[in-house]
Amino acid sequence: MTTPEHQAELVEQVVSAYRPRDPRGQLLPSAAFHDLDEAGRVAAYEEARRARAIEAALDPEGLSSTARAVLNRILRASGG
Amino acid sequence: MSDAVDVDQHAAAIAAGDSGAFARALAVIEPSVRASLRSYASKVDVEAVVQEALLRLWQAAPRFVPDGRPNGLARFATRIAHNLAIDELRRRRELPSEDAALDEASTRTMAAESTVLAAPDPMLRARIVYCYEQLPPKNALAMHARIEARGGEPDTAVAEQLGMRLNTFLQNVTRARKLLERCLEEQGVALGTEAP
Repeated sequence: MTTPEHQAELVEQVVSAYRPRDPRGQLLPSAAFHDLDEAGRVAAYEEARRARAIEAALDPEGLSSTARAVLNRILRASGG
Repeated sequence: MSDAVDVDQHAAAIAAGDSGAFARALAVIEPSVRASLRSYASKVDVEAVVQEALLRLWQAAPRFVPDGRPNGLARFATRIAHNLAIDELRRRRELPSEDAALDEASTRTMAAESTVLAAPDPMLRARIVYCYEQLPPKNALAMHARIEARGGEPDTAVAEQLGMRLNTFLQNVTRARKLLERCLEEQGVALGTEAP
């Protein structure tokens, strides 16, 4: 039985832009995503949209954590 | 007010490997791609799909051919993202492997999609910064650490760096966002309500 508090923590974990990778470097879904029901997953999606808007507003280049994660991966791959 | 932009102005530089140009395009493309994936949110981890789609956009950019309409790069990224989401559903056998109708529907959606994208709104940005500065220290600390991790570290590591238990860290981040949203609402701003 998932408590509302545990559900909220799972949602917050899915909101994070961090995603693990498999040995080939492929992005994997958040483990918490699989522990959420469909309503929880949609809630996480909506929260993530708001979180990314906040992150972009606070970033000097207007980039969210998602954009930063992608750029970091590109720069690492190019040795930059 | 936000001004309409055309991210294709960066296409040539991106194709030449200019990551700075790609960053400028990402600031506009990423919210658009995420918004377009709402119908998949209950089945697919949209964050993973968005990141993978943007990485593939960078890799495929040298082959991008503008179609004469503005924001072709954004439509290209959205198409990649939808294909990734559909592939993921098929891989998990939640969609038939030969569902041509779905592919056609996705293609029609992409073709009809609005190509109007907005530049970040400086007034909204100023209001978010103002509300962020009003947060209680513990909540601000957790939100700041999450942002500074830039999607490169799991929450367990970020929480440990702050000397917080994971659940305390998560609660602080959630609380920070709720307080910030409430502050914005008091100023007549609702985040994340724009249409996909």
